Amino acid sequence: MRRDLLVYGGAVLVAVLVGLALAAGGGAAPDVAGRALWDGMFGSPYAFGSALNTTAVLALIATGFTIAHRAGLVNVGGEGQMALGGIAATAVGVSLPAGTPAVLALTALLIAGFAGGALWAGVAAWLRVRRGVNEVITTLLLNFVGLCLVLLAVHEEALLRQPVTSADTLPQSEPLVEAARLPLLGPPESPATIAIVLAAVSVIVAALLLRHTATGTRLTAVGMSEPAAARLGLPVGRLQAGSLAVAGGLAGVAGATLIATVPYVLAEHFTSGYGFTGLVVGLLARGSLTAVAGISLAFGLLASGGINLQLAAGVPAASVQVVQSVLIICVAGAVIFRKGAAR
Amino acid sequence: MSAFAELVDGGVRLAIPLLVASAGELVSERAGVLNMSVEGIMLTGAFAGAVGAHTTGSASAGLLCALVAGLLAAALQAVLSVTLRADQIVTGVAANALALGATTYGARLYFTEGRTVPGFDPVALPLLSDIPVIGPALFDQSVLGYGCVLLTVLLAVLFGRRTGFGLAVTAIGADAETADRSGLPVNAVRFGAVLLVGVTSALAGAHLALADVHAFTDNLTAGAGYLAVAAVIAGRWRAWPTLAACAFFGLAQALQFAAPAFGIHLPTAVLVMSPYLLAVVAVSGLVGASRAPAGLTRPFAREARA
Amino acid sequence: MEPALELTGVGKTFGEVRALDAVDLTVRAGEVHCVLGENGAGKSTLCNLVFGSAALDEGEMRLYGAPYRPRRPAEALRLGVAMVHQHFSLVPELTVGENLLLAERARLRPPDLTGRVKAIEEEYGLAVDLAAPVAGLPVGERQSVEIVKCLLRDPRLLLLDEPTAVLGPAEVRALLATCRRVAETGRAVVLVTHKLGEVERAGDAATVLRGGKVAGSGPLAGFSRDELVRLMVGRELADLDPLLAAGLDATEAPAPRTPRETAGEPVARLRGLRLRSDHGPDVLDGVDLELRAGEIVGVAGVEGNGQSELVAVLSGALSADEGVFELDGVDLTRAAPAVRTAAGLGVIPEDRHHEGCVTGMSVAENLFLGRLREFRRFGLLDRKAMRAGAARAVAEHGIRASGPDAPLHTLSGGNQQKVVVARELALDPLRLLIAAQPTRGLDIGAVDAVLTRVRDAAARGAAVLVVSSELAELLTLCDRVMVAYRGRLLGPVAPDAPGARDEIGKLMLGAAT
Repeated sequence: MRRDLLVYGGAVLVAVLVGLALAAGGGAAPDVAGRALWDGMFGSPYAFGSALNTTAVLALIATGFTIAHRAGLVNVGGEGQMALGGIAATAVGVSLPAGTPAVLALTALLIAGFAGGALWAGVAAWLRVRRGVNEVITTLLLNFVGLCLVLLAVHEEALLRQPVTSADTLPQSEPLVEAARLPLLGPPESPATIAIVLAAVSVIVAALLLRHTATGTRLTAVGMSEPAAARLGLPVGRLQAGSLAVAGGLAGVAGATLIATVPYVLAEHFTSGYGFTGLVVGLLARGSLTAVAGISLAFGLLASGGINLQLAAGVPAASVQVVQSVLIICVAGAVIFRKGAAR
Repeated sequence: MSAFAELVDGGVRLAIPLLVASAGELVSERAGVLNMSVEGIMLTGAFAGAVGAHTTGSASAGLLCALVAGLLAAALQAVLSVTLRADQIVTGVAANALALGATTYGARLYFTEGRTVPGFDPVALPLLSDIPVIGPALFDQSVLGYGCVLLTVLLAVLFGRRTGFGLAVTAIGADAETADRSGLPVNAVRFGAVLLVGVTSALAGAHLALADVHAFTDNLTAGAGYLAVAAVIAGRWRAWPTLAACAFFGLAQALQFAAPAFGIHLPTAVLVMSPYLLAVVAVSGLVGASRAPAGLTRPFAREARA
Repeated sequence: MEPALELTGVGKTFGEVRALDAVDLTVRAGEVHCVLGENGAGKSTLCNLVFGSAALDEGEMRLYGAPYRPRRPAEALRLGVAMVHQHFSLVPELTVGENLLLAERARLRPPDLTGRVKAIEEEYGLAVDLAAPVAGLPVGERQSVEIVKCLLRDPRLLLLDEPTAVLGPAEVRALLATCRRVAETGRAVVLVTHKLGEVERAGDAATVLRGGKVAGSGPLAGFSRDELVRLMVGRELADLDPLLAAGLDATEAPAPRTPRETAGEPVARLRGLRLRSDHGPDVLDGVDLELRAGEIVGVAGVEGNGQSELVAVLSGALSADEGVFELDGVDLTRAAPAVRTAAGLGVIPEDRHHEGCVTGMSVAENLFLGRLREFRRFGLLDRKAMRAGAARAVAEHGIRASGPDAPLHTLSGGNQQKVVVARELALDPLRLLIAAQPTRGLDIGAVDAVLTRVRDAAARGAAVLVVSSELAELLTLCDRVMVAYRGRLLGPVAPDAPGARDEIGKLMLGAAT
C-alpha cells in the first residue's frame, strides 16, 4: 500500500514536471500557464460545465473498460465504439417525430448509443470467443474503421449528412430534434448536462455488480484463470463476450451524450480522442470504480484546462495528451516495484 | 500511366514502410516482445527526420536524426517491456499516445512557417525501371526506399530459421526459461530486438516523411504502424506471409488514390478504412492462435521459487 | 583430492519462507551423490543455486576448489556445470538437433554435432534422432536428449533434479545406469530425488534435507533404510501408513490392503473414446473402461501416453472425436462442465494452479465459485453465508489458512490442494471422482490428508479414478490398475497379485498382456 502511494505520487510528480516543461517550452511562464489552466477548469461556469461533460464521457468509458478488464479483456476500442454509438444515436435523434416526449426520445437515443457501441465491441468479442483472436488488436483496428464510418456518415447525403444547399454546407448531420437533447443540469451559461448523473449511476451500478453480485465474482474468476473458471462450469465465453459488449455499450452511450450536447450534431472527429483518455483512466484506476470516478473528474478538468492553455497561453493542447501518457507509462513501468510489495 | 501501373506504383510506395517496420517487428515478436509502439516510433522517426532535414537542409542528416530518435524511443520501450517487465500492450499504446502528443506539440512549435522539408528523390535503376508496369513501381524508388528493402532482405536472411541467430530468437520467444537454461542471454537478445524495431520503425517513418510526402503533418503515420503489427499477426509470424500481408495492405492504401483511374467511385472514407478493415479480416480469418510464439508478451525473470 | 562441489552454510529465503538454512554439502568427483528429501524440503532450490537460476543469500560454494557463485545458468554452464531439469529444458517447436545446437551455439556446426552425438552414443548408449521434432518425442526419449544436451558440454558436474518422476520402471533403470556411467568417467553427479529405492540402486553418498536443513549426510553404506526415512520425514518407517511408505519407494512390495467389498453397481462407462491429434497418431485411441461404485481404479503409465487427455476429455476441457462417456446412464460425452458437475462428477485436476483453483481469489470464493446461485439474497451475493460455509469446510478438512477470506496464493501447495479436494468432495451426489496426480508436489502430511479423502469418497460409494505417475502409490491405493500406453488402456492388473509391479512395468512399454 505504501509502495502504491509512492508509485502514484512519483508518477504524478513526473507528469507535473513534464507538464511544466511543456508549458515553458510553449513560451508560457509557470504562473501564466497555471492561471490559464485554472481558468480553464474553474474560471467560469462554462469551463466547469464542459469539464463535467468530459468527465461523464471518460467515466462511462472507463467504467466499461473496468468491467471488461475484470473478465481479463483489454478494450482499447473506446474511440470506435463511441463513434458507432454516436452514429446510432444521431440516426435515432434526427428521425424522431417532432412531438415525441423527451423521456421517450432520450431513452431511445441512449439505447441506440448503447446498441451501437455494444455491436462494435461485439465484433471483437465474437472474434475473441469464437476464434481466439486477441481483442486488443481487433478493437484497436476497429477504431480506425469506426472513425471512417463517422466520416462516411457525415459526407454522404444518403446517410446522415444535412441537405447540401451550398458549397459551404458543413459535412455534419442535421441537429437532433429538441426532445432528444440532454437537459441542462444547472444555469444556462453552463453546458453541463445530466450526462454526469448518468455516468455517476453507471459507476455505482458497476461497482455493485462487480463487488456484490454472483456475476461480478464470476467475471473476476474468468479474468484470473480462464481454465479454472471453465473447469468449475462457468460460461467463460458468454461472460467475456458480455463484458466486452457492455464496455462497448457504455462507450457508445458516451458517444451518444456527446451528440446530445451542444451543438447537437454528428460531425467529423466528434470523439476527439476521449476513447483513449477513457482507457488511460481505466488503466490508472486498476479496477477500482471509486478511482474511476476520481480520475475521470481530474482528467475532465485537465482536458478543459488544456484547451484554455492553448487559447490563453499559447501552449499546444497536445501537451495534455503528453502528460497523460507519461502518467500511464510511469505507473505501468513501476509494476515490478509494486509486485515486490505483494510478496 | 495506366490505372493498374498507378495502383502498383502507389502500392509499392506505401508497402515499403510497412515492410521494413514489420520485418523488425517480426524478429521482435519471434523473440517474445510485442511492440504496439511501432506506430509511435514511426511517428517519432518521421518527426525527427523532418526536423533534421529542415534544420540542416540535408535529407541524409534528417535520416540520421530519425534513426537516433527511433533508437531512443525503442530504448524506452525496451526498458519498459524487458527490464521493468511492464505490460507490453499497455505501455505500447501509451507510448504511441506520447509520440502523437509530443510530435504534435513539437510540430506546433517548430514548423511555424511551412511544413515541407527536403527529402530523397527517386533514383531510377537503369534497364530495370524500363520493365513495363512493375519497372517504375519497383525500380524507381529513393535511396531510402532501396535501403529499406535491402534491410528487410538482410533481416530475413540473418534471422531465417536455419541460422544461429534465428534459432536463438525462436527459442527465446518460444520458451524463455529453457533458453536461459541453455545459456542464451534472453533479456539481452530481447532488448536488442526492440532496438532493432527502433531502427526499422524509424526508417519506415523517415520514408513516409522524407521519401514519400516530403513534409511532416500531425499524425502523419495515421495507424500505419498498427498495420505493420497486424501484418505480422496476419502473416502468422512467418516471413513470406508477412511480406504478402504488407503488400496487400499497401495496395489497399493505394487504392484510395488509384480508384478513380479504375472508374471506381467510392466515398473516400470507404477507401481510407479498407486497409484497416482488411487487417481485421486478415488477423481474424487466418490466425490459428497456436501459431503465436508461446512466450509472446511474457516478460522473463529468472525467479526460482522454493 | 579436493571435492568437486562444496557448499558451506548456504541459506536462501523467498519472502517469508526459509527455503534453505545453513546447508553444507560435499560432492566428490567420480561419485553419484544423492540429495534426498520430501517435497518442499528445499531440493530444487539447492539445484537452482548451484545452476545459477537463483542467487544464494548467505554461505559460499566452491567448485573444484575455486570459489563459485554463478549469477546465471550461462555462467554455470561455462564453468562446467550442467543440469537435467525435471520438466526438461527443450524447446518443443525445434528439432532435437536444433535444441542441441542451441546449447552449443556458435561453437558447433551441424556436421561436428553428428560426430559428437555419435561419440556420446557409443560411450553411454544414449541414442537420439537429430531430425525428430521434440514435440513428438515420448518422455523417455526427451530425457535422453536432455542428458545428451548436458554431456555435449563435457561437464565436470552433472545435476539431475527429480529425473525419474515422469518415467516408467524400465526407463528409470536405464537412467540410473547412465548416472553410474557418467560418474565412472570421473565426473561428479548429483541426483536429487525422494525415492529411497533409486538412492540405494545408484548412489554412493547421500545428503538428506528436511525443512531446508541438512538432516544427515555421509556415505550410503552408513545408512539403513529406516534411518533414511526417519531423516527425511521425521517418522519411523514402521509407523508410516503403507501408502506413504510406498510414495517414498521405501517398501519392496505393496503392503497387503484391507480387502474391501468393491462389487458395487456400474456407475460410469467409457466406450471407444478417441481424440485425434493434428500431428501424429491419435492421443486417445479407443479407451474402454467401466467403473463401479466404491471402486478405486488407477491409471499408471509413462507421462504423455494420453492420461492427461483422458482426464481432460472426462472433465469436459477437451471434447472427444469419437466414443461415449456415460455417468449413471446419462451421456455426458459432449456435456458442458457444469452439466457434468450436476451429474455428480468431481474432478481434482492435474495442474492445480492452472485449472484447479483461482489463486487470486479467497478460500470461500474458490470453494463456492461453481455454486454461487445458492448464495444469493435480494439479487446480491450473500458473503456472510459463503464465509460461514467456508469456515465449516476449513475446519472439516484441516485447511491451514488465516481465514475463509484468505487469498488462495497465501496457502501452501498442500492446503491449496485440500481446498480443491474439499470442493469436489462436497458435491451431492458425488458419483464419480477423478483425481489426476493428486499428490504431486505435496509434502507427506498433505499426501496423507488428500489420499485419506480419496479413500473416503470410495467408501461412501463413489467410483474413483486415480491417474498418477507414482506407481507405488497406485499399487497400494487401488483395486485395479490400468496402464496407459499410446492412447489406450492396457490391463487391468490386480495390485496384490504377485509380480504386479513387473507386470505393470512391462505394460508401460507396450508389452501385450
